[in-house]
Amino acid sequence: MPDFDWAVMWYAAPYMVQGAVVTLEISICALALGTLVGLVCGLLSVSDLAIPKAIVRGYVYFVRGTPALVQIFLVYFALPRIGFELSAFSSGVVALAFNSGGFISEIVRAGLQSIDVGQTEAALSIGMTNRQSILFILLPQSLRRITPPLTNEVITLVKSSSLLSVISITELTRSAQVIIAERFTPFELYAELAVYYLVIISVLAWFSEYVEKKLA
Amino acid sequence: MRAEPLLSIRGLSKIFGEVPVVDRVDLAVTAGEIVILVGPSGAGKSTLLRCVNRIEIPSEGEVLLDGTNMAGELRNGKLIPDPPTATARKRRRIGMVFQRFNLFAHLTALDNVAIGPRRVLGMNHVDAHALAAEQLARVRLSEHAMKRPAQLSGGQQQRVAIARAMAMRPVLMLFDEPTSALDPELVGEVLEVIRALAQDGMTMLVVTHEMQFAREVGTRVLFMDSGRILEDAAPIAFFATPEHPRAREFLRRIHTPVAA
Repeated sequence: MPDFDWAVMWYAAPYMVQGAVVTLEISICALALGTLVGLVCGLLSVSDLAIPKAIVRGYVYFVRGTPALVQIFLVYFALPRIGFELSAFSSGVVALAFNSGGFISEIVRAGLQSIDVGQTEAALSIGMTNRQSILFILLPQSLRRITPPLTNEVITLVKSSSLLSVISITELTRSAQVIIAERFTPFELYAELAVYYLVIISVLAWFSEYVEKKLA
Repeated sequence: MRAEPLLSIRGLSKIFGEVPVVDRVDLAVTAGEIVILVGPSGAGKSTLLRCVNRIEIPSEGEVLLDGTNMAGELRNGKLIPDPPTATARKRRRIGMVFQRFNLFAHLTALDNVAIGPRRVLGMNHVDAHALAAEQLARVRLSEHAMKRPAQLSGGQQQRVAIARAMAMRPVLMLFDEPTSALDPELVGEVLEVIRALAQDGMTMLVVTHEMQFAREVGTRVLFMDSGRILEDAAPIAFFATPEHPRAREFLRRIHTPVAA
């Protein structure tokens, strides 16, 4: 490959490391918030509370039915109109958490519902309430089953964070685009970008396997 | 003079779709009675049992434990249905043992027994574990206290399940085919534990196909078919001279030789 410009890749590396740090920061914040939202929504959707259940259903319906990019723009442009002034970074975190929370809710719900109904009956028979049975019996048993689909969701979240380049957050993808605009070397830099994402996601996948074994 | 019944079931029905699986059953059980329910599969025995502690919600009729309606409070002649927390509170007094054991898969044998006293009765960790250890000793499983259900045999799992139910200090025990899922050589150890509870005076309703056990341990045998109790007799009389034709047919079919 005579035209491959290795020098620009070295040149871009420090910028892209900075971008990768931002990507990780956003992903971790969004994951923490999204997991919290998803866990609560997932638990509510198997509870016997009719109104919260309906709200969760509507939320999941919306998240599943609209593109992440649209959700990001909605959070970024709509929230300030109703009085929430957020920085680009916070908007990004909220948008990604909103998105992943909906999917995690479904993962948690499916995990809880996959546990044998005999476990619930036994819990009720010793006088547990529905809530106690979910918290003490179903949730601990579903954690291991939840881990693989949750890993997929985390990977999706990290990759979706590249969409935040559109609201001028200089995360990993945008940091590469900035250099491309300066040096006109899209091939080299998108290739380099792919490697960065692969490394991050490989580490995540390895960590998830480790957790799954620990929970066994 | 007859004592007040511990358990009264009046006009109880459970209808799935349009099929009455339990059909207007009346039953009064006095404290200390060992009531054995027998009958062909699909007769409604298990469903009747499950309606007693409202794991299954009855379609009609009422269940009273010690005079307390399991479904709600009577006010001015009207039944106000219980909120879920009240149902849970009432269930504590009724222990249940399932065909498939249903031990909590993520907990050790000891924690399976301790979790009820701990989370439902609000005992502290130390007391709950002491009580659980005591109950496990009663079913002779002390040396297996730290094992998970998957590491125990079926018979051991069912004995843990009995200990789990007994740890709540119930006044009534329900056994839903407690030995049907067991390998034949493990049936004896479970029946032995149930027999010991019976000798200690525990009131119980037992759905079983173990006719020898029914005859020896039961104080009363109910024969059910098509959702109805067709015969209610002392065990010796039931096995010697069943009155209802369907009971005779049932006993002939299972051909379990019952030693006189």
